[in-house]
Amino acid sequence: MTSRESGRVKDAERRKVLDDVARKRRARKAVEALEQDNFHEDPHADLVMSKKVPKFADSNEKPTRKKKSKSAEYYKMRFRKTFAQLVEEDASFRSKPPNYLSAQAPPSKFPERHFCAVCGFPSNYTCIPCGARYCSVKCLGTHLDTRCLKWTA
Amino acid sequence: MSETSCYILDNGAYTAKVGFSNSKSRIIPNCIMKAKSERRRPFIGSQLDECRDASGLFYILPFQKGFLVNWDTQKTVWDFIFSKECCPVNFNDTPLIITEPLFNFASIQEAMTEIFFEEYECQSLLRINATDLAEYNYRRTHKNDCTVVVDSGYSFTYIVPYINGKKYKDAIIRIDVGGKVLTNHLKEILSYRQLNVMDETYVINQVKEDSCFVSKDFFADMEIAKKKGPENAIVKDYVLPDYTSLRRGYLRDIVPPEEDLEQQTLRLNNERFSIPELLFHPSDVGIQQMGIPEAIMHSINSCPEEHTENLLANIVLYGGNTLFPGFRDRVYNDVRSLALDHFDVNIELPDNPITYAWEGGKYIFRDPEFYSFCMTKEEYEEEGKPLAFERFDI
Repeated sequence: MTSRESGRVKDAERRKVLDDVARKRRARKAVEALEQDNFHEDPHADLVMSKKVPKFADSNEKPTRKKKSKSAEYYKMRFRKTFAQLVEEDASFRSKPPNYLSAQAPPSKFPERHFCAVCGFPSNYTCIPCGARYCSVKCLGTHLDTRCLKWTA
Repeated sequence: MSETSCYILDNGAYTAKVGFSNSKSRIIPNCIMKAKSERRRPFIGSQLDECRDASGLFYILPFQKGFLVNWDTQKTVWDFIFSKECCPVNFNDTPLIITEPLFNFASIQEAMTEIFFEEYECQSLLRINATDLAEYNYRRTHKNDCTVVVDSGYSFTYIVPYINGKKYKDAIIRIDVGGKVLTNHLKEILSYRQLNVMDETYVINQVKEDSCFVSKDFFADMEIAKKKGPENAIVKDYVLPDYTSLRRGYLRDIVPPEEDLEQQTLRLNNERFSIPELLFHPSDVGIQQMGIPEAIMHSINSCPEEHTENLLANIVLYGGNTLFPGFRDRVYNDVRSLALDHFDVNIELPDNPITYAWEGGKYIFRDPEFYSFCMTKEEYEEEGKPLAFERFDI
């Protein structure tokens, strides 16, 4: 029964198309990636630092300050707040605009421009499964082979 | 009240501009860095100069999205900056001017006040926005009433209109595109198109600084970049540093393969101008915000109408991103085409846009009213932090 069927129809059914939510999620991840300070892990993360090792360089100097300065670690604990907490706090401190959130630039009145996700030149076409832009059959090929639906965010 | 100089610290999210008002400023990386090659020690601020191999540099920054969040990192960098190794200071007899971002959060402001009065034992302190210092610097030379300050830095770009020396807060605009976004985007596209450089933020930031420019006619330059052979005046190779014979890379013309000297290179074509373009069209990478010229117009139009002419005639740009060749001209062309014809548009790019705000600090110290802007340790001890909120308009 199943031995006779159209290859085209089978292909079309198999082709997955990302829905709007998934596309938005991908776009958001891409913007978030632009905010990262580092892509890789701390290269010294595996080092074990011993705090008990004396620092010989300082030993000749007598402490001249009367007041003992507090350590960096102290201030880390003392003022510990994440960025999200700070933004939330700001809503009560500066509840009425102008504040941090109200100062954000509104969307542009100009139409969005589109560039090929592969080569960066202006593009006229959209990849059907994932919504990325491309400019030529060659770039579409590269895109399908490397990124389309593969780089799953 | 007879101090002859004050200490100015323009505490940027990527570099701190620091020095005494009677001498020159120094630019110190405001971060701690770790190198793959030297596993024994981290590099604090300008100690990076001692690092032989800066490939795969790992950054630990005190700032996040333009706000001071990691206090342990900041304290370590400040201790370094104030020490003999960098730019020593005794706050007992030297007033301090320190900059903060616009709309700085309340708890960060409190922490700033506390740390400088209690930990560093400042006698007089002035906490101020960097844009205020820049505006002061501009107004000093131009004797104008209204200014638009455009500060394009590492974390974001701020557009701040000033009317009679006061910032008009309702019209302040922030674009969430700065040097970091540009470098990260360049890193991303180079890694996809040619060579994986995702770990090389430091090197790619130099690639950006050495190669990128702002296009005067974006789509015309795109057409040039599409051409092959000598007609394409944009395509270049960037020779990457190898940290044995070359410490910093450089841009060079394309050479035929037989003349190639076996250096590792990156080919840069439309990347050279599509990266800075993000400042003018953030939507190119999906950040749905206005670009700089449109935001300048939006900001000016949010100010009372009688100041429009004055504001358009006094726009000043500073910050690291303004160093891209062609930046000023592009802002001028775009603002000119958006503004009404009968207004004059004037855009100034100072000689040293990175230290422009710091220089402003020099002049504000000489202002006869300087000490009335400051807060003293006695005042802090008597009235505490609430007074700081009253006095400093951040």
